[in-house]
Amino acid sequence: MRRAPSPITLANVTVAYDRQPAVHHVSGTFRPGSLTAIVGPNGAGKTTLVKAITGAARVDEGRIDRGGLAPSDIAYLPQQAVLDRSFPISCLDVVLMGHWRRVGLFRRIGPTLLREAEEALEAVGLGGFGDRPIATVSAGQFQRLLFARILLEDCPVVVLDEPFTAIDAKTTADLLGVVSRWHGEGRTVIAVLHDHDLVRAHFPNTLLVAREAIAWGSTPEVLTASNALRARQMAEAWAESAAVCARAA
Amino acid sequence: MLFEPLISPFIEFAFMRRALVGCLALSLAAPPLGVFLVLRRLSLIGDALGHAILPGVALGATLGGLSLAAMSAGGLVAGLAIVLLAGLAARGTGLREDASLAGFYLVALALGVVIVSAGSPGVDLMDLLFGAVLGVDDGALLFIASVATLTLVSLALMWRPLVVETFDPGFLRHAGGGGVAWHLMFLALVVLTLVAAFHALGTLMAVGLMMLPATGARFWSATVGGQVVAAVMMAMVASVLGLVVSFHADVPSGPAIVLAAGALWVAGLLAGPRGSLLRQRISRPHLAG
Amino acid sequence: MFRRRTLLASTLAAAALAAPRAACALDPRLAVASFSILADFLREIGGSILEVDSIVGPEMDAHGFQPAPTDAQKLARARFVVINGLGFEGWMPRLIRASGFRGREIVASRGIATLKAKDHGHSHGHGHGHGHGHGHSHSHGEHDPHIWQDPRRAQAMVRNIAEGLAAADQEAAEAYRTGAARYVAQLQELDAWVEAQFAAIPRARRRVVTSHDAFAYYGARYGIDFLSPQGISTSAEPSAQQIARLVQQIRRERIGAIFIEAGASPRVLEQVAAESGARIGGKLYADALSRPDGPAPTYIALIRHNTRAIVEALAG
Repeated sequence: MRRAPSPITLANVTVAYDRQPAVHHVSGTFRPGSLTAIVGPNGAGKTTLVKAITGAARVDEGRIDRGGLAPSDIAYLPQQAVLDRSFPISCLDVVLMGHWRRVGLFRRIGPTLLREAEEALEAVGLGGFGDRPIATVSAGQFQRLLFARILLEDCPVVVLDEPFTAIDAKTTADLLGVVSRWHGEGRTVIAVLHDHDLVRAHFPNTLLVAREAIAWGSTPEVLTASNALRARQMAEAWAESAAVCARAA
Repeated sequence: MLFEPLISPFIEFAFMRRALVGCLALSLAAPPLGVFLVLRRLSLIGDALGHAILPGVALGATLGGLSLAAMSAGGLVAGLAIVLLAGLAARGTGLREDASLAGFYLVALALGVVIVSAGSPGVDLMDLLFGAVLGVDDGALLFIASVATLTLVSLALMWRPLVVETFDPGFLRHAGGGGVAWHLMFLALVVLTLVAAFHALGTLMAVGLMMLPATGARFWSATVGGQVVAAVMMAMVASVLGLVVSFHADVPSGPAIVLAAGALWVAGLLAGPRGSLLRQRISRPHLAG
Repeated sequence: MFRRRTLLASTLAAAALAAPRAACALDPRLAVASFSILADFLREIGGSILEVDSIVGPEMDAHGFQPAPTDAQKLARARFVVINGLGFEGWMPRLIRASGFRGREIVASRGIATLKAKDHGHSHGHGHGHGHGHGHSHSHGEHDPHIWQDPRRAQAMVRNIAEGLAAADQEAAEAYRTGAARYVAQLQELDAWVEAQFAAIPRARRRVVTSHDAFAYYGARYGIDFLSPQGISTSAEPSAQQIARLVQQIRRERIGAIFIEAGASPRVLEQVAAESGARIGGKLYADALSRPDGPAPTYIALIRHNTRAIVEALAG
């Protein structure tokens, strides 16, 4: 790791689109080295929250304190739909993008960096896939590839948005191994997930979001039936036109 | 003996040699840009730009007289302005790139017609500005060769961020590589190359050599770099073929070259080594995987 | 309810706009020519009586012309409009209709023997028919309309115009006819002068290359071949073969001169000149007079200028 992770603290964070709050009044801290799942009903604002954490979305009210970390110190895996998988590029080239922060425009990619890239491919179960065009790999394999890229990014904080949606079980299991490797290395890992069983099995901490933070703490305490009910009720109550939120900071 | 008809026109006539050099220079600079344009889904930008530079050309003519330098400069400024504005508008708001460009270029075109009508309506400025492949003189040759050099050098320098920004702009922006700037620089190169090519060779040739080889490159290579090389080679072959056919078969040169490029494109589509119709039909023993 | 009213209101507004304009006053002395050469004829015939104006001014191209509202206003007030005819001013009929012109239309080319058009479409060698709404098509139809380039035919045009004026304006008929007669005499002098200029140059050497197909009548009258670099084909762009043949022909027959017309693929011609060793002659005026301070501010000056340019280039 290039630098140790710091705590990421959210203080009454609100992110809105066109005055409609996607998330509001979220407060809490991601402790350094923690492994946290973010869960919640559909439309709960999880992706928005995560974008705010990585710096991709602007915070409308409140503050996010990253403890001195720059947004580029956070490795971010967005939801998969965005990339053009027919792009004419090899798997190795995608992984090598992870070196960007070290290599930039001009520095040569020498044998050391190449070896790291190959090792990353091995680590995600894509050993030997380097020369293959990405158009020839499956969705699961492509996701492994993106994980390999994050391995190379070597960031103290890793944020994953729905990394296992529509991915087969074997790949999911393998990639969870990579996640636990990151956790073991002391990196802060945050992942938006839907599968509560997976969360219970692999994530010690959970943040339950339904536009606002319903619960944030250790997984067994958060993923209770009553919390789930509250989240569902929040989801059903989302009004089309709401009065200006009068809640104090 | 077989090569004689291929070579003799160029040996005999200086205008053929100049045309060839002009085309080869364009073949080096334009197809690589075209490959990236195709990847960015901006394939129609060339045609739009051909129209969008009109107000700049008109203003250049008004301020600097009917000199090609003034008009080219005006066209260049207008093209850059429109492309940059469109790019910024698209990246800054939810407006899509193609819609943004369409909006700006239409406004520019209309503005251009107004300016032209206010000036001397009898002269077709675009006619003056746009060259013809058989009319390449030393000045135009110098212009296009310089621009080609600049484009190639810039592309070499920008290669890495350009590929990343085309494939995953979010990643580059997030990792601190600066997203929009590369995009705008790339577009500026496109405008510059197109204006130089319009001036030296006319619109059909300029856009044709930029886009046709690029769209056909996917049948020859599976990497961006490979596609660039394939596109450049196709453009060069098309240039030579087109000029030779124009000479021997009495066909207008510009269209001949573009048709040659089209023929190469179709050939790739039918039987190229990657993803062509033929390749999809014949089955080869699969690798051990 | 609201929408229907809006619809009705806009329909009425549109109808109101489409209604014919209020008539404006006719200026009894205003004669408008379609382009500058005809305007010159008008001035020579009736300059003391008439106020002469033209739609396409000096150094402007009548082919790609796009009329503006001011042109329509001019026409609306005019007593006479003089056009060439033979399809030269394709945009004129529409403009006359649109302007509400109520005067007398005079066609200068009436009854004058014509040559067939050189294979439709003399082109301007641009890439691929760029419109921009300029209507750049050049096909004039069957007949080559550039009859004014022959001073003899010009004399007939002048007579046509004078008769047209006289028929509508009986009071000044005498003045028109006198003016015409005086001018025709000048044109006869001009004709003789031109012929004398070319006397010294053998017929075989009277071969010139230019890209504007406007000089067929001049060429026919004085025995000069005007060759076009675009050759015989109707393409908007020349083929390399045509250029090569032209270069070879120029070299072989030692054609002395190439004339470049502004806005007509000058660069291709320059290549031909460089390659073949022919000289590039001065500017030839085909369809328009020059500005008043230029070398061809009147028709007679135009013919003299062109003649001198061609003679110089051939002789030198």
